[in-house]
Amino acid sequence: MSLINLWVKDGYLSTPDGNSIYFWGFSKSENGPAQLPGPHMVVTQGETVTVNLYNTLSEPVSISFPGQTGVTVEGQPVQPQYSAGRLVSFVNHAEPGDMVSYTFTATHPGTFIYESGTNPHVQIPMGLYGGMVVRPADYDPNVKEYKTAYGTGTDTEFDREYLLIMGEIDPDLHQAVEEGRSYLISKYMPRYWTLNGRCAPDTMLMDNMDHLPHQPYSSMIMAQPGEKVLIRYIGAGIGNHSLHPHGNHTRIVGMDGRLLRNGNVDLSYKRFTVLVGPGQTYDQIYQWDGLGYTPENPIPITLPNLRNMGIGNVGWTMWSGSPYLGVKGDIPKGVTSFNEFGEYYFMLHSHKEPQITNWGEFPGGMMTMIAIYPSLSPDVGILT
Amino acid sequence: MAIIEKRFGATDGWVNMPDGTSHYTFGFVDITGIPEKQIFEYRGKATLLAPLLEVYQGDEVYLTLTNLGLPSRPDLDDTHTIHWHGFPNQIPLWDGVPEASISVPVGRDFTYYYKPLDPGTYMYHCHFEPVEHIQMGMVGPLIVRPQLEKDLGRKFAYNDESTEFEREVLIFLTELDAEPHYLVANVQEFDWTEYSPEYWLISGRSYPDTVKPGNEPTLPLQPFSSLIEACEGEKVLLRFINLGFQEHSIQILGVPFKVVGQDAQQLRGYHGEDISYWRNTLYIGAGQTVDAIFTAPRLGIYPLYSRNHHKNTIAGISFGGMITEVRVLPAP
Ligand SMILES: [Cu+2]
Ligand SMILES: [Cu+2]
Repeated sequence: MSLINLWVKDGYLSTPDGNSIYFWGFSKSENGPAQLPGPHMVVTQGETVTVNLYNTLSEPVSISFPGQTGVTVEGQPVQPQYSAGRLVSFVNHAEPGDMVSYTFTATHPGTFIYESGTNPHVQIPMGLYGGMVVRPADYDPNVKEYKTAYGTGTDTEFDREYLLIMGEIDPDLHQAVEEGRSYLISKYMPRYWTLNGRCAPDTMLMDNMDHLPHQPYSSMIMAQPGEKVLIRYIGAGIGNHSLHPHGNHTRIVGMDGRLLRNGNVDLSYKRFTVLVGPGQTYDQIYQWDGLGYTPENPIPITLPNLRNMGIGNVGWTMWSGSPYLGVKGDIPKGVTSFNEFGEYYFMLHSHKEPQITNWGEFPGGMMTMIAIYPSLSPDVGILT
Repeated sequence: MAIIEKRFGATDGWVNMPDGTSHYTFGFVDITGIPEKQIFEYRGKATLLAPLLEVYQGDEVYLTLTNLGLPSRPDLDDTHTIHWHGFPNQIPLWDGVPEASISVPVGRDFTYYYKPLDPGTYMYHCHFEPVEHIQMGMVGPLIVRPQLEKDLGRKFAYNDESTEFEREVLIFLTELDAEPHYLVANVQEFDWTEYSPEYWLISGRSYPDTVKPGNEPTLPLQPFSSLIEACEGEKVLLRFINLGFQEHSIQILGVPFKVVGQDAQQLRGYHGEDISYWRNTLYIGAGQTVDAIFTAPRLGIYPLYSRNHHKNTIAGISFGGMITEVRVLPAP
């Protein structure tokens, strides 16, 4: 049995180009900050989950759980809510200053979204969404064949896992809501695209940065060569996002919290780009094995003089200066390098390329990196 | 296994639309084997699409990129790269991401090395400020042919006899928003969140140019025809590549097709299950590729077009844009 308390409140998001954007978000505690996305919910298949929602906004708020069945409030199935004959919420809501309690049993392992069911065309873009991971009933992080996305015997073992939740921001919506003005969502025109509530390059910073109190989650993916990296995508925006990881394909093993398998027929497939539609979730295994080059088995070309090449044209580089993993080369003076251990970085980004800008300026938006380290602590890359 | 040495120049150019407009582009031009003192004659001659890179599984490819500069924008000293989109297990040095390795300044060379092991349809593009350099035209098709072709002396998309074909055509999908092309030519900035294309292209051309031959003199920098000609009963492989920024929805009226590969992977499950499938409509996202095979039906002309019908226009005027034709000829 899992009990999760969430407070809905407001706050301000930061964008890397210096904007501050009013938003609504879920918070873990009565006195804590609203956050984007909402706190990750990690529960286990078969568990009874109760979510208490405390509403501090001045309009009704609810949470819908797409993909979950049998959600109840006070023992009765959740129902659409009407006011004077007009639809207000898809599910039972909390009035301002009030609380509502949802209960369900998480019957299927996988990745799910939770989001507002009240005025969702406003409240979800305003930030009322989050991710939920349901672990399989037999999940055991200490035993290889039981550390899986969908249960032992489903070919979904993983070594590390990351959750990437996609969204967009149209600053006009946020400003209109803050000022109590009307806004037509049919004119929705995003200027920012987010991974886990942040725009690049902030996506690559660590969790819980002091200067991003409302955006606690990193989107940096870190692993060692050969490891199986479970990457969970959630499309929390209104638009489509065409996500492309460099370095290798991913193998898509589940969608919408369902294993891609019919009986004994494995329907999983490999892709180099996944088009994530609104509300969809994807579970995929990424693995980078490399090409076997080391200083002892060198690359078949001569590295040019790096002073003659373009390095760090955006003001920084993540390259080591060496072709080899774990080796640091000679980055020209005056270039800021964020490379620490000779790790490799592979971009993961939306291939709808205007989405990797911040209000039109590259680099930004829906972009992060996959870092392959020569060695990495086993504590990195576990969702809690 | 062969050793393949290629040299591409990065430069600029102009492309023509059927409404008589022309648009400033960045792109690549094949300068393989051109003597050093003559390469500067290729400045301003970037083609849309960039040259087809076509290799066999197991080949060793040395691809040298030379930055020839932009004669129409001599003030702009952008660097360039080549990103082989979808290359498995790549290392950053040859991945072409300037933020994670190196890029090539004006007047410099860099050699990318690839030993592709997985057959299929890929794409390549410049990854320097990719929203600008991709839209400006630094995009090209890339095919890795399977070993099975050499073993059996016939054509296959993958190492599987079920993917046999007789003819193949590239259907390379992009869009063109005239405004950023105009602004870049005139030294001004574009807000990319305002991207709103009015030209839709197959392999760098708008219909009716799509059905003209490859060496059409009015399209000197747009060398790719997408006319699909086949004899009755022949198997035709269409290699779809979407390197635009939008989703595209493509139909061939009267010709269903079987999707046998996506993203340079044959449609096989984890344990070899056959997960190929039939479609009338191909919905393809930005940065995806699809391999589809059909058998040429009876004699006639079968239009291929976008089901987003507004894309079958030239800046809103029909017909034009993302249309080409399947022309079925009598069996020989
Ligand atoms: Cu990329
Ligand atoms: Cu790409």
